[in-house]
Order: sequence, then structure tokens, then C-alpha cells
Amino acid sequence: MGRIGEVQAPVATRDALARGRLRASLVPDLLVEARRIVNTVIAGWHGRRKRGIGENFWQFRPYVEGDSSRIDWRRSARDDHTYVRDREWEAAHTVWLWADPSPSMLYKSAGAGVSKESRALVLALALAELLSRSGERIAWPGLTDPFTARNGAERIAAQLSHAGALRAKPDLSAIRRFCDIVLVSDFLDPVEETMAWLDVLARHGVRAHLIEVADPAEETFPYAGRTEFTDPETGDKLTAGRAEMLAEEYRLLYRARREELAAWCKRLGWSYTVNHTDRLASEALVRVHMAMTVEGGHAASIANRAGKAVA
Amino acid sequence: MSWLPLSFGAPMVLWGLLALPVIWWLLRLTPPKPQTEVFPPLRILARVLRREETPQQSPWWLTLLRLLMAALVVMALAEPVFNPREKLPAEGAALALVIDNGWATAADWGKRVATAERLIGDAGSNGVPVVIAFTAEKPNAEIGPFDASAALDHLRAAKPRPVPTDRPAVYARVAAALERLPGASVAVLADGLAAKGDDAAFKMLLEKNAARLVWATSDRTSLTGLIGADNQVDGFALTAIRAPGDPAPAQVTAGAFDDKGRRIADATLTFAPGEASATATMTVPFELRNDFASIALDGEHQAGAVRVLDESSKRRRVGLLSQAEADQAQPLLSPLYYIRRALQPFADLVEPSSADLADAIPQLLDQKPAMIIMADVGTIPEQVKQRLVDWVDKGGTLVRFAGPRLAAAGNDDDLLPVRLRSGERALGGALSWTTPQAVTEFPKNGPFADLSPPSEVMVSRQVLAEPTPDIVERTWATLADGTPLVTGMKKDKGTLVLFHVTPEATWSNLPISGTFVEMLRRVVQLSRNQGAAIANAEATAASLAPYRMIGADGMLTPPSPDARPLVPGAGPLPVTLENPPGLYGSETGVFAHNLLNASSTFAPLTRPQVSLPVTAIPYAFDESENLKGPLVAMALLLMVLDTLAVFWMGGLLARRPRRVAAATTMAILVVLGGLFGHADLARADDSKPGDAQAIEDISKTRIAYVITGEPGVDSISRAGLEGLTRFLIEKTALEPGPPAGVDIAKDELSFFPLIYWPIDATAPMPSQAAIARIDAYMQQGGTVLFDTRDQFSNGIGAGSASPATERLRDILANLNVPPLEPVPSDHVLTKSFFILPEFPGRFNGSPLWVEASLEASNTENRPVRTGDGVSPIMITANDFAGAWAVDESGDPMLPTVPPDPMQRVYALRAGVNIMMYMLTGNYKSDQVHVPVLLERLGQ
Repeated sequence: MGRIGEVQAPVATRDALARGRLRASLVPDLLVEARRIVNTVIAGWHGRRKRGIGENFWQFRPYVEGDSSRIDWRRSARDDHTYVRDREWEAAHTVWLWADPSPSMLYKSAGAGVSKESRALVLALALAELLSRSGERIAWPGLTDPFTARNGAERIAAQLSHAGALRAKPDLSAIRRFCDIVLVSDFLDPVEETMAWLDVLARHGVRAHLIEVADPAEETFPYAGRTEFTDPETGDKLTAGRAEMLAEEYRLLYRARREELAAWCKRLGWSYTVNHTDRLASEALVRVHMAMTVEGGHAASIANRAGKAVA
Repeated sequence: MSWLPLSFGAPMVLWGLLALPVIWWLLRLTPPKPQTEVFPPLRILARVLRREETPQQSPWWLTLLRLLMAALVVMALAEPVFNPREKLPAEGAALALVIDNGWATAADWGKRVATAERLIGDAGSNGVPVVIAFTAEKPNAEIGPFDASAALDHLRAAKPRPVPTDRPAVYARVAAALERLPGASVAVLADGLAAKGDDAAFKMLLEKNAARLVWATSDRTSLTGLIGADNQVDGFALTAIRAPGDPAPAQVTAGAFDDKGRRIADATLTFAPGEASATATMTVPFELRNDFASIALDGEHQAGAVRVLDESSKRRRVGLLSQAEADQAQPLLSPLYYIRRALQPFADLVEPSSADLADAIPQLLDQKPAMIIMADVGTIPEQVKQRLVDWVDKGGTLVRFAGPRLAAAGNDDDLLPVRLRSGERALGGALSWTTPQAVTEFPKNGPFADLSPPSEVMVSRQVLAEPTPDIVERTWATLADGTPLVTGMKKDKGTLVLFHVTPEATWSNLPISGTFVEMLRRVVQLSRNQGAAIANAEATAASLAPYRMIGADGMLTPPSPDARPLVPGAGPLPVTLENPPGLYGSETGVFAHNLLNASSTFAPLTRPQVSLPVTAIPYAFDESENLKGPLVAMALLLMVLDTLAVFWMGGLLARRPRRVAAATTMAILVVLGGLFGHADLARADDSKPGDAQAIEDISKTRIAYVITGEPGVDSISRAGLEGLTRFLIEKTALEPGPPAGVDIAKDELSFFPLIYWPIDATAPMPSQAAIARIDAYMQQGGTVLFDTRDQFSNGIGAGSASPATERLRDILANLNVPPLEPVPSDHVLTKSFFILPEFPGRFNGSPLWVEASLEASNTENRPVRTGDGVSPIMITANDFAGAWAVDESGDPMLPTVPPDPMQRVYALRAGVNIMMYMLTGNYKSDQVHVPVLLERLGQ
């Protein structure tokens, strides 16, 4: 009697990269909403090498009357002119990408085409490819700091393949606000734990996009008969005498978890996307793409809130 | 388990059942092995599972199933036997089996063998030697001692014999064999019939050396034997016996069979309660009784229930004697004429070759007739008279008719039933007061008692008997005045009969009445054949060869090699292995040697009173049944059930119902397929190359042309036939398919009604085989239209011929060409569609040659001559194809000579007529007569 589910070996990152690129090639360039500059939507990085609101120094310029900027008195003190310090317009957005490396992601059921880990990595790398194509800064918590590169996906893939074991739940407190983070995981931990973990993002005002990669077997629970279930992470075992009797209740709980998480995300203005491993990765990619690009009023309201926060 | 007919070979194993509680405990604790599955959302599942009661134990019914399985296995190991039989105690130094295999054992021989096999089997398991002897075998048969397997071989080789048993001799041999094996168990498998010398035999057998007697006998001897079958006056008397003392009534059916084994009569014999014998009469016509060859009791498959019949119970031989040889010229006056006519149907008539009584009587007596009829024989020569008297004394029937010679001869006390007054008495006549006398009622004591007196018979002359005290009882028929007409008496075993009138119609009209036939018939049936007919063939032969033996099963079989010739002698002949019952002699005459004689009885055999321990066993088949196999099978079945249940509980069936169902169906199909053989899916593929072409050729009528090999000629042929086809479609109801080019050497020709053959001198000459094919085609009804196309290229002069004509002649030289003639003006070709006086092609002027219709006549000047058949050959020189040929657009390809458009039309019409002639034959020639026919019919 064949098993329904199995634990697969981690996917080769190179392979995932290739597939991710393939997926990414099907999706138009990702234009991440620059929330802080609502009125400018510029693709690419060239247009952003100018003064603007940013954190880094860009230039000193003479103060003209009516200039709303504050005078940089330290510079002005050097000569007779008054100067204003301009900062570089940091329009390039930072998008953090993270795929769950936990063992539970290695699960693949008979009905699914790939393991969850594979799918998650593909999604993350596809996004990385899209974002770097658009000139966004991408980063991987616990792995890299934000960087801008044409070959961002490749660099992340290379780093991932050399990284060794990563922490299951990286520290997200380093992510500053106005960043986006894409979290690809199965979110099978209890909702409370997940919320507690992601709460720091909410507090920092990070916009998160949660992609739940779900295996069809996890959702439909096709098990029957006397079955011993093993948790791939903890190794816990549970034996069900008549597994089919549990299916109904399990499905309810499983769905309740997802709905609770989704509702929480919605409340925070985050997106929550479910991708089944027996479906195409592109579906999730398109949905996240939609969520990350400008979305009318919703995005504007977020921008307003951000503006206020700046003020 | 005394209440069950069940015993165990190894009862100690049953203690294993005590392990069942342990197994139960183990089974309760050990749930089936779960299917292990990796499942990441285990924590969610855990919340569900916490509330569910995990079944840690197998369900009770599964436990029960497994316990049952274990119990069955334990029971099977204990070697259970259903209906166990008693085993022979394992004592005694040897086992002596004395088995009766006489005729009485044939019916239930199988049971006896089974019983003996058991005894031998027990002896074999006890390891003692076996002495096995059969009481109806040859005295030199081996009796052992053997080991058990050899004894079994002997037992299986033995068969019941159709002879009585010979216990004393065999028992003596067994007793001798037991001398060396003291203390043996003696098993007597008797047939239940007592015989002479039984007491002494048992004494001899059991007195010494026997430690134990095993007495096997059937509950009751259910034998029925046929001890008598006697052909009597009005039927076949059968006597059957059974074992005495049977209180129940019984009925058996006896069937009579002819010499081919066909059943021709039967009768039912009823044994009254307590009676040991039963009789019945098989009432069948005398003629049919003569055909009886054997009589057998139904349902009794043994030799005692069969009797074979020989000549002594068959057609009587009747010798005829007369002294009036001179009467041959006037047969109706011959004294034997009416007797011969009367007896012919139911008796064999024997007549001496000599007229001299001294020769004739011994001749007749040598044939051992049942009856001798003397028609007016007066004095019998002294030298033969004594033989005749002896013959009568031994059972012969002598019938004498009166007449002038007898009346004159005077009395003959030995060979006449009554004393006669000398001279005859005339009744009626000119000088007599009396009138001819009629016959009155037949006396009750005579054999004619049941005949009605013939009123038409008048006796005008007779011989008179002297009145004696016993005249009345000797009188078989009287006249109205009380004088005897027929007298008869028993003389020793024989009978003397005297008809007081002549055997011809001079003294009375009795011989020409039907009653005469009946009376003679009664007398014949009274008579008995005096010995078998073989007497005359090998009268002196000392012995009779075996001819047909009665087998032990009551069937008639060819003699076995053991059978020896029978030496007939005085006294009853014993039935032995050398002389088994049956027919002895040859086809010409047989002697019946039957197992039972009239004095046989079935005395039951009683157990000898001995001081030995006795075990009485019944004859029975071994009914004990080893239950090990069924129990193991049941356990296996339960195991299969258990497996299925585990699968079900494991969720296999629920998880993959479709696949499992498909797999199950597949498995069942495979098993069924294996069971019922594999369906023969390979159907004979009878398609042959060229089938498609053949189907195409016969789906539509196609006109064929011969491919000559000359491209120009062939293309014109094709185009010409194409043009003709178009014309046919246009003008007639015939819609031929596209023209077919045929290679006469290869292609099948019989599909085409007409083959157009343009003769071209430059084309290669067809091979002999091809011409033979053309010949066959023409013989089978096809027509070849030869076209030399040389109407205007012939040389001038009768002797000259164009190359094409030469070629045609060459071809025709190898064909069976009928006589030819140019198409006559009243030939059906001229009328078959268009009315055509001539048949032009591209050229005009050449006649169209067809088979000469020699028999055809046209006497009444009808428009068309009559005549059957279609000409198999047509020859023209007009180049039809050239005239018919059209190109793609339908324009003519070749000009006509002379260039006359109408000539082309006529050519096409000629083609239409030829095609119609091909397809309809002489229909048109009949059709043109329709008006005449209608006129004749008065329509």
C-alpha cells in the first residue's frame, strides 16, 4: 500500500532558480508601489538618482527663499551662503523575500507535482527575478542585506545554496518600515505563534505578503484506515484508528487556521495568497504581483498612513 | 465426542486449543499495523485526534475470526476423521483373507473389495503378512503370504467369477499356509450362500492356527436366481428363487432377449412374503418365443440371474413321412400338402430323402425332431420300429393320420394311441343311413380344449377306435355322434396322436379348415425337441467348444481363455471355472449350460460355531472421511477473509475503491479466464491479396480489355471501352464501371462478362498457360471479342492474311473454338437493343463472327431465331475500340473510315448490342415473341 505523502529531498537551488525564472518570465515586470512617493511611479532605478526623500546624503544646495527644507546650518556656517542638505531619493523599494526552509516544507503528497519547499523556493526566486528586473532592492532575512542587482535572483540562489542550515524563523526585527516582505511558507504552526512571529512586522509597518503553500493532501485529508501520522519537524507520532473519521473535523480546523490568518492579514492590509502544489506557481505569482503593485485606494490609504507617520 | 461420529488421529494436539485464550489476549492487544504517513499539519490533526477514542484493540469479530482460524488449524493438526471405522485389532501373526468370489458376489463386489482393502490396510499398518485366497479361483492360484501391498495387488486383480465357490479346496490350502503362521487372524469374506462341505471346510480352516475370526457377511442375501425357463404351450414358464425366509414380498422383472441382445419380452415374478421361489409365465406368441436366446432378471448383475436357452426350447423340428410319393403331380391330393402348409410358419419341417420307410425313419430320427407326422403310413418296418418307439418313449411326439393304408394295416399297439377297428367307416353315401358328422365341442382334457369347434367341418369317413375304458380320456376331439376324431396318449415321455381322418380333404374337410392349423399347432407345442441340432453335425463329437459365456455380471461375453470344451455326459454337468455357464457349441447349434438348475436353492451360510473370538463386520465402503483437508481449507478461507478485513480496516478499499475494484475485477477475470480456458480471439484471417481488387471488379459490371503490351493499342482499347461505357450509361439502364485492363496470364477473368481483345501482330504472343486460361474462361461462360482491326489491310485474295489475322489464327489454334458464322440477320445480336443490320467499327465491312447456332431454327419466320446460350467468341476486323475511343472531353479520338459520323454511332450501337447480348443472352429473342405468345394465350 503506497503512502500518500513523502518527504522529499530539498530542491536543488539551481533547479528552483531555473524554474523560478521560467515563472518570472511569464509575469510582467513587477513595479512595486513606492508608497512614499505616491505620485511617481517610475520603473527602474535610473530615474531615482536624484534628490528626494531619503536617508542618505545626496547634495548641498543653496537655500532659496520659500524652500521648505530646513537649512543645514553646519554647512552654511562654512561660508556666506545658506545651504540646504538634500538627501538621495530612495525610491528603490526594499522587498524582503523569505521561503520557509523548515522540514515540514519538504512534504509532497502523491497528488502534488512538487514539494512545498520546492514550490516556495520557486516562488521566492521568481519574485526575486522579477524584482531585480525592476531594479528593486531585494533581501532575504537572515541571509542577505538588501541589495540591488540585475542578477538578484541568481545571487540569492547562490547564497542560499551556500548558506547551509537557515533558521526556521528568522528575526524580522531588522526590517524597517516601508519595506515589503514576501513570506512563503505553509503557515502550519499554530496561528498564535505565527502571529506572534509576524507581529514585529506589523509594528514596524512593514507590508507583508504571505503566500501559503499548501499540499492538496494536507487540505483534503485523503487518509483512511489505521494510519500513523508523523510530524516531519518534531517527529511526533499520532495514530488514528480510522483516519477517514477524522477528515471532516480536520478540514474544518485546517480551514479555520487559514481563514484566521487571512483575516488577520487583511486587517493589517497585508495580502494572503494560497498556492496549492498541484496548481501552477504562476497563479500565486500573479496574485502577489497584483498585491504588490499599486492597488488604488487601498494602496493610497496605506500611503496616507505612511505619510502621516513620516510627518 | 461420542455424540459425533468424529475421532482424532492425534488427540493430544487438541490440547493446543488451550492456547486459544493466549492467542485471544495477544490478538486483543495487537492492533493491526498502521499505515505510516508523514503529515506536516500534525498539530492540527492532534487537536482533532485528542477527542477521538483511538481503537487500541482489534474489533471483536476480527479477534473471533482469528481465534476460529487458530482453532481450525489446531483441529486440523489433530487429524480428525469423520465417520471413523473400527480398526482391526493389532493382534495375530498374520491375516488370512478368504474371499468368496463366486457368482453370488458379483453384484456387490466393490463393497467386498473395499472391506478387504480395509482389512489389508490394517494388516499393513500392523505389519503382518497377509494370506489372501479366493474361493472361485483356480486351485493353483497364489495365496501368499504376501506383504500388504502385494496382497492389495492380488485383491485388485481378482474378479468375481460366474461359477460357484469351492470352499473346501481353498480353505484347505489356506489352512496349509497358516501352518507356518500360527495365531493368525482369519477373515472370511463369504458370499452368504451355503454349499456342500462348508462345515468341514470351516473346521479345517479354523481349527488350528487361527487366533481370531473376522466374519464379514452381508445382512441378508438379496440374490435372486433364475432356475427354470421352460417353453410351454402357451408361454414361457419362468421360475426364480431367492434366499429363504425373507418375510417381505418382492417383485423382479425378467426380460427375454434374442440372440442380438434385444429385449423382446418380459414378465414379472412376484415372491410372496416368506416364499423363496416365484413363477411367472411370459405370455408371448410362439413364434416370438422361438427367438429367445437368453432370459435375465432385471437389476441382478450376476450369472445366477441369467439363463441361456438352446435349441431344446426353440422351434420344433417336425419330420414328415408319407408313402404316397406318386401324388406329387397333384399337390392338392398329396397327403402332406395341408400339413406342410399348416406347419410351415412355426416349425422346421424335415422330410426324408428316401421314400423307403426303412431308410426314411432313421433319417428323420437322426435329425432329432420334436415331432414326426405320418400321413397314412400303415405298417412300419420292424427294423426301424423299435427306434421309433424308443424315440417316442424319450419324448418324441408321433402324429399319425388315418387313411386307407392305416385302415388296412391293422393295429399297432406301440405307435397308436388307441386300438383301431380294422377298416374304415363311411358316413353318408348312397348305401348308408348316416350322414357326414360334424365336430362337437373339444373335450376339456385334451389340448384343444380352448378351441371352438369348427362348424363347417364335416367328416364323411374315418377309422374307428375300439371302445376301451380309457378311450374317453384319450379322446382329444370327437364327432357329433361321439366317435373320436383325434385321439392321443402319453407314452412314457412322449406322445402319440392319431387323427382318425386323412391329412387331405378326401375323408373330411378338416384339413382345409382353419381349425386344422390350430390343432396341429397345439400338438407341435406339446412336443419337445429331442436334443440339439449339433447332433447331426458332430453327433459323435466328444466335447462342445465354448461359444458364449455368461460373465460374472450376467452379460454374455466371448469365452475366456480359461474356458474348456464341455463334455456332455450323463447327469448334470457341474459348473466350474473350466466350464463356466454359457452356450457351448457353435453358431449352428448350441448347448445351454446354466449355473442354476431346477433344484437349486439359496441356503444361507451360517457362521461356524467356533471358540475363537469373532468380529463380525459388514460389507461396506469406507465412509470415514479425513476432515484435515476441509478444515485446513476453511482456515485458509478465514485467512483470506481476515486479509480482506484488514485491508478494509486499513482503508485500502475505501482509499482506492476504483483501483481496488478494478484490480479485483481484473483478478476475477484472470482467474475465470484461467478456469474456462482462453477465448480464442484469433479469428481466421481469410483475406487474400487482391481481395480489394476483386471486390471492386464484381461490385459493378466492368468491361475488360486485354492488355497486349503495346501502349498505343492498350490506350485505344481503354479509351474505346471508356467511350462505350459512356454511351451505355447515356442510352441504357446499364451503368458499367470503368473499363478494366486484364493481364490474361495473371488476372482473374471470371469477373468480366466480355473481354475485348485487340489483336496486334507486334504484341508478344500470349503464353500457352494464358491461352488455356482464356479457353477456360470461354468454357465457363465468358465471351472474348477478338478484333483484328485489319479490315482494310488484308491482302487481296483469299489466301492472304494480315499479320494480325495470322496472329489470331495462332491464338485460336490453341483454343476450343466452336464453329463460327457471320451474324445472321435474325440473330439476337441484331435486335438485343438497337436493330442493326451490320456491326461497323472504325472500319466497315467486316462481318462479326459468332458461334454458329446450328440447332437454332427459325421455322415460322419469326423476327429472331431461337436458340440458347451466348456465343463465347466474337471476331471482327472493324476496330470497334477505335470507333468507340473518346478522349477526356468526350470527343472521338480516331476518324472512322470512311469519315461518316453515323458510322461511329452505329459502331457504338453495335457495342451496346454486344453488351446487351452478353448480359441478357437470348432474353431478347424471347422478348420479341411476346406478342405472339400473348396472342396464343388469347390475351
